[in-house]
Amino acid sequence: MRRFAIMLAALLCVGTARGADIAVALTDDRVEVDADFSGADLTLFGAVTGVEDDADAFDIIAVITGPSGDFNVRPLEQRGIIWLPGDPAIIKDAPRFYASSATRPINDIAPLPDQAQFELGVDNIAAVDLYADGDAAHPFNAAFLDAQETDGHYQDRVGGVSFVKGALFTISAALPASTPVGDYAVAVYLYRDGVMIDSDTAELRVNKVGLERRIYDLAHQRPVLYGLLCVAVSLLAGWIAGLAFRKS
Amino acid sequence: MQIYLPIAEITVDPFVIVFLGAAVGFLSGMFGVGGGFLMTPLLIFYGVPPAVAVGTEASQIVASSVSGVLAHLRRKTVDLHIGGFLVAGGGAGAVVGIFIFRYFREIGQIEVFISIAYVVFLGAIGLLMLMESLRALLREPTAKRTRRKHRSAEWMAVMPFATRFRRSGLYISPIPPIVLGFLVGMLASIMGVGGGFIMVPAMLYILNMPTNVVVGTSLFQIIFVTAIATVLHAAANQTVDILLALMLLTGGVIGAQIGARAGRRLKGEQLRALLALIVLAVCARLFFDLALPPDALFVVEPTS
Repeated sequence: MRRFAIMLAALLCVGTARGADIAVALTDDRVEVDADFSGADLTLFGAVTGVEDDADAFDIIAVITGPSGDFNVRPLEQRGIIWLPGDPAIIKDAPRFYASSATRPINDIAPLPDQAQFELGVDNIAAVDLYADGDAAHPFNAAFLDAQETDGHYQDRVGGVSFVKGALFTISAALPASTPVGDYAVAVYLYRDGVMIDSDTAELRVNKVGLERRIYDLAHQRPVLYGLLCVAVSLLAGWIAGLAFRKS
Repeated sequence: MQIYLPIAEITVDPFVIVFLGAAVGFLSGMFGVGGGFLMTPLLIFYGVPPAVAVGTEASQIVASSVSGVLAHLRRKTVDLHIGGFLVAGGGAGAVVGIFIFRYFREIGQIEVFISIAYVVFLGAIGLLMLMESLRALLREPTAKRTRRKHRSAEWMAVMPFATRFRRSGLYISPIPPIVLGFLVGMLASIMGVGGGFIMVPAMLYILNMPTNVVVGTSLFQIIFVTAIATVLHAAANQTVDILLALMLLTGGVIGAQIGARAGRRLKGEQLRALLALIVLAVCARLFFDLALPPDALFVVEPTS
């Protein structure tokens, strides 16, 4: 009897999945984030549609990926009495921001092949595969991931996805102040009993506003003008400071 | 409260930065030094990337020198003629310094390079100051110093293009001021210092300039050369964080006023011995940071 019940449940699962009436969708397909001096907390909303079941039956993994870039990883080597950075290894086209959020630990939700294929979790970012010899992971990879996680640029958030009410869920991530600007991709994967049922993607535009952003833009786009302005501001500030204290 | 610095790309506590500015301002007011050679290492200790610390410090020195330069110009204690040659050499030195800085940045060794430069300079200057002030403290306080001769060294007398510098009362070749300016300009670019601690003794003992114009002329050179270095750093490396500079300046002007008052209570030799100890302490910290096994055995940096 009990075995029958499990079989029935399994059949139902397959049935609903095949039926393709379960879908996951983000409510906004384009979100503007205004990161200011202190960084931003990002919250995205989505819903699982086409199900009557309890939301507890599902798991969701969301992956937010920022623009990519190349990175140098240098080992520190002892030369004589001091430590010097040695020759760099280059990690190409790695995301400059990566955040995974999930309802539960990813290992409990998705099978390993899925994790590798869809790059679920910081450890599965495909670009980070320096000198991969099949089995042995190169220490550079771990060092790179460590550094990115320390900066808040890479993060895995267990519990970062949670069902709010019924089939409505939220995805949360913390964008540090040094978050790169640009186009981000959000991928959402819906799982039940270790099987991916559906997925959805959305785009996210991260902009920065305010004085801090203007300074950054000016410094990088018109560096000479910025330099001259720095001198002018310094001269003015120094002069004002001098006046203020001469009178006192 | 936390503020994100756009160029340094780190989040800092503005009160800590203002306090840092005030502390170094206090010391520079007390000892009558620029303070760049203390501020840059302290910024590095706080976590500001060394390249940004250097570029930003150049702009802060511009700000903190303005009132001094104006005061000296009013009092006519600036030798503009010799100062012009110093600035000419300094500008060229700043450009060369930027190229050296850029080279080390490209090969990824700029942080170590800056630290080593500081260890060498702070170590040498700290030791010299300490020895000199200890000798002075141990000597009879009334003992008179041998008077300086107002004559140039022989090697300077044989140089060409001898020019009369009226305010300094010198008749020397402009080559030594240009070379001196050049060396100090290089330091300004590479280390983010004004270089007064080298310029002033060099003016006194090598160029034989009279004491009353030395500080003003040195400040005159510093403000031009650090301004040039600021523009060069901004243009070549994008490492000038004006927000950081302004916060440091805010603390700096206040600290300098308090420091100047505190400095009047101490004797010159005591002051110099104290400054020497501070300089050596900063030097030691930089050295240990280089020599001790680092926390993280890897450096990760974006290449683009």
